[in-house]
Amino acid sequence: MKIVSGLASFIGILFLTWILFEVVRKGAGALNISFFTELTSPAGIAGGVANAIIGTVLITLLAALIGVPAGLFAGVYLSEFGSYSRLGSLVRFSINVMIGVPSIIVGLFVYTILVLPFKHFSGYAGAAALAIIMMPVAARTTEDMLNLVPNSLKESALALGTPRWRTTLGIVFRAAKTGLITGVLLAVARVSGETAPLLFTAMNSQYWPKSLNEPTANLTITIFNYAMSPYADWQEKAWGASLLIMTGVLLLTILARILAKEAKK
Amino acid sequence: MNFARGESKEPIMQRRLDTRSFGADSKPAELLNYKISTKNLSFRYGTHQVLFDNNLDIATSKVTAIIGPSGCGKSTHIRIYNRIYELYRDQKAEGEVLLDGQNILAPSVDIIELRRKVGMIFQKPTPFPMSVFDNVAYGLKLHYTLSKSEMVERVEKALINAALWDEVKDILDKPGIALSGGQQQRLCIARAIAVEPEVLLMDEPTSAIDPVATAKIEELVAALKERYTIVIVTHNMQQAARISDFTVFFYEGYIIEFGETRQIFTNPRMKQTEDYITGRFG
Repeated sequence: MKIVSGLASFIGILFLTWILFEVVRKGAGALNISFFTELTSPAGIAGGVANAIIGTVLITLLAALIGVPAGLFAGVYLSEFGSYSRLGSLVRFSINVMIGVPSIIVGLFVYTILVLPFKHFSGYAGAAALAIIMMPVAARTTEDMLNLVPNSLKESALALGTPRWRTTLGIVFRAAKTGLITGVLLAVARVSGETAPLLFTAMNSQYWPKSLNEPTANLTITIFNYAMSPYADWQEKAWGASLLIMTGVLLLTILARILAKEAKK
Repeated sequence: MNFARGESKEPIMQRRLDTRSFGADSKPAELLNYKISTKNLSFRYGTHQVLFDNNLDIATSKVTAIIGPSGCGKSTHIRIYNRIYELYRDQKAEGEVLLDGQNILAPSVDIIELRRKVGMIFQKPTPFPMSVFDNVAYGLKLHYTLSKSEMVERVEKALINAALWDEVKDILDKPGIALSGGQQQRLCIARAIAVEPEVLLMDEPTSAIDPVATAKIEELVAALKERYTIVIVTHNMQQAARISDFTVFFYEGYIIEFGETRQIFTNPRMKQTEDYITGRFG
């Protein structure tokens, strides 16, 4: 038993370090100033992925702006008002199902409602798809974090004459603050590496993102295109972009962990 | 727990004592005003009834202790006085709770104002996740519009009255959670009295606190009763004997006996009360 489980964990760690090692080995060479400052270019011509970096940041930020508040409020509903009601259990069940929905299906769905009617791909559609993926994750973390706040704290705020909504926003949220921030960071980290939902929504572009109302460059689709190409310089940039995303996600996760530890103190 | 189950099969008689008569032997008949009176107060968790026709008068500016074994409904009873039970579904009070003659269970009651008038201290200290100063200022901001200097003054006054000022005056910007358990409980008392309530409900306020801190809080209760009507739930009979003027004995949701603390502890009228205070059950 000990040997089998030990071996299994070793395999897990092995692949993680292997992936990290490969990405760093193949990607580090691509990282230079033009990588961060120049537009994507045709194969063989020097260029960078700056437009894709900006696009990814914009799309993810917009997605977080929509998905996080929606998730937070759904989580508040579940924790504060929906613990007994039938509607509450229905919402909780739907959220759990939504967490499990494959992201490509979310992408297809957004394609049919935000891309087909407008007859063009757009960063907005990409952000909407990511927001839909983020929302249930944020809702569940919020519910979990708010449920950790002891009822006695809630009661003493109410007993002081605090209205219900102010108790939730002023006291319960504050008590759960670090946990909530951790949840949001993890939700952002979760979507920042998504590719499938962007395929039919934001698509990709070789230009600077002037507006999100047009196909928008982003890192994951750029990786997909470049890595599948036969050109060595594109492939190297794909590795570079992978390293960039991985570092970003890693930093977000570490930050979330540090905050979670702070919260326990 | 071979306690008079036979007697209590009959609806237990509510011994509603005229507390006015008790002062007679010690001092010239002290006329008591009643801050709170409950009339046929019953309470249910869902279909499970836990309080039965409680009739009780709480004297103004006195300390009334509620004693009784665990689960007898002591806490449930006082949680009706500020309607905090309403946070939970399926909890329902019937009957009347008169605060200065007004039934606070009426739907038209302004619950925010009710809770300003009737403060509550809980078993575990519950400082808010903010600084010592902000903890006390929190309720003030809710109920009053004050200038910065008035706010500082009122916070200081509340902390002085809660016998905490000397210990925290230099650390007002530290988080409330950083204080010791006893200090946290006094912080909660300061927070409650800052909004100038008329009644203070204390739900086993010292059960999570060490003996030295408990003694401080008991002293504080004695000092506070000048200004506030205090109802304290306690499972510690010595505490009830030490700090209260009147004592109520609850058993299985019924008020078995109610009277002057001295009388309850030296000469209880009911056998159940005697059994409980002499430690035969509970």
